[in-house]
Amino acid sequence: MKFAYYPGCVAQESGKELDMATRWVSRKLGIELVEFPKFSCCGSGFIDEANLTLNVALNARNLALAEAAGLDLLTVCSTCTGMLTLANVKLKDPKMRAKIDPVLQQIGTSYRGTTKVRHLLHVLTEEFPPAQLKALVTRPLTGLKVGAFYGCHLLRPAEEYPTEEPEDPRQFEDLITALGATPVYYRGRVMCCGFPILFVKEGTANHIAGRQIQDAKAHGADAMATPCPLCHISLDAYQNKAEHEVHQALDMPVFHLPQLVGLALGARPEELGLSRHLVSVDGALAKIGTVTVPA
Amino acid sequence: MVETVHATFQVYRFTPGVDSSPRYVSYEFDLPPHTPVLSALLKIRQEIDPTLAMRYSCRSSICGSCAMVINSKSRLACQTQIGPELARHGRIVIDPMRNQPVARDLIVDQKPFWHDYERIDPHLIADPAHPMPEGQPNPMTPEQVDRFYETPRCIACGACYSACPAKEADPEFPGPMALAKLYRFVVDPRDGATRERLLKIQPGGLWTCLRCHLCTAACPKDVRPSERIRDLKELAIAAQGVTEAGSRHAVAFKENIYERGLLNEGKLARQTLGLAGTAAQLPQAMRILRKKPELLKSPPKIEGLAEVRKIYEMLEDEERSG
Repeated sequence: MKFAYYPGCVAQESGKELDMATRWVSRKLGIELVEFPKFSCCGSGFIDEANLTLNVALNARNLALAEAAGLDLLTVCSTCTGMLTLANVKLKDPKMRAKIDPVLQQIGTSYRGTTKVRHLLHVLTEEFPPAQLKALVTRPLTGLKVGAFYGCHLLRPAEEYPTEEPEDPRQFEDLITALGATPVYYRGRVMCCGFPILFVKEGTANHIAGRQIQDAKAHGADAMATPCPLCHISLDAYQNKAEHEVHQALDMPVFHLPQLVGLALGARPEELGLSRHLVSVDGALAKIGTVTVPA
Repeated sequence: MVETVHATFQVYRFTPGVDSSPRYVSYEFDLPPHTPVLSALLKIRQEIDPTLAMRYSCRSSICGSCAMVINSKSRLACQTQIGPELARHGRIVIDPMRNQPVARDLIVDQKPFWHDYERIDPHLIADPAHPMPEGQPNPMTPEQVDRFYETPRCIACGACYSACPAKEADPEFPGPMALAKLYRFVVDPRDGATRERLLKIQPGGLWTCLRCHLCTAACPKDVRPSERIRDLKELAIAAQGVTEAGSRHAVAFKENIYERGLLNEGKLARQTLGLAGTAAQLPQAMRILRKKPELLKSPPKIEGLAEVRKIYEMLEDEERSG
């Protein structure tokens, strides 16, 4: 199994632990990640607000790079997945194609539309049947109650992801079950983390994040897990501010998706960069009988 | 003989000023799986409890009266069949719409919704320089109509308003329906107040949208409000430049990627927040930097950055030619 690895910006910077965990899990499962040092940012839902055509063109280039190598993209960020998929959708429109094709021609490339954009969550749940994954689990996450937090752009707009229920998905929860943990169902799991307006209306953004963490906690979650590093920033790095906004101590550890998978497959916490989180994951690790090592 | 399924409904009941708190009342029936939730509610009202309060009219997804929250999704009761809901959830939980106060049971007080709609001046404003022809049609080309083809389908049911987390967190935000309607007037070639409309909506209005697309998921008429809001943002920047923290962030992000091809996170925060805003963020930044020190460094430039820059130059000619 071989993919063009699209880590996205944050996993190469403040969310480096996501990249570490993705590489560890991929090695363990025999997923080959091919590096593309030419990939650019996906636009993150911001460039398109300033210039949609520009954003589609940037991602057409990214998709064309993988296409030339005959590979599908593997993403580890809900927003990257959404923006790259949006480009695939928009490029079905002949009017958009007429704008983008000449631009790509100028930089010596072309887009045919054969590259699929697949998030690690989808690869793990679609390529590895639960029984197969279960057989590889060496440290079952028994007793750990985990609230999945999907990230909007992995679910919506829905026609981009015909297999997933935009407001009631189950893939992540099924994966959590396969790892031996117990999924927690709560309304917030498909809601927004507030990240898109974190630098625009910080109080509102923190409040929105706080509401979702509160919701997970009220439903008994010991930890949350997310396939999106932007959600991780809101839920983990700004959790102190979220606590302030919702007037409640939350103390909620938040795992990146491959960190949770890595733990179940036997990775040592330091191999997954767990000490880089703002909110300590020690309580959650104690539940599954392991400890973090300070960085 | 029509096949039936056993259906359990848990219906929100509350009369403010009378009941001390809301409660859920259970009702059970055997019904055909294609039964709309609205028909089941009417059956409850006709056969069990005539005091159950709800709005409805056409039963055909046209009038927009019966929007409510069914198994935690905001949608029309007449358009939702019980079979798939029972198959997925085992029961059907029915709540009134969110983001509006409950008047009684499943009826909400829609004043906030209509107030937010009125804020966008939902009517054509004639351009004095190009008055509308008196007693004559004022035709548009098919291309002009295409730009807002989806928006007039809106039936003002309020499902998007109920689903919107930005509205929930910030009462000042007008919500998806009003903004989708605003888009319709902004791109209508007969309207003479495009700039004024964009200027009026931006403070506190446009840039609070989270682009979570929950409104687009909720809309029974595929108006796609979140995409219309995105279009409005692009139009606002094109018409007025950077006037808000939100537009500053979008433009700063775009510029940031031109430099290296990848995001420079630390620099983006400084670009959007400005000097004073950055200073206010210092304590938080110090907390994060302790764990993530690489935020202080600029990321490397991608290979093939010249290609990315060429794309910018081709699609943003006028801005970059200088």
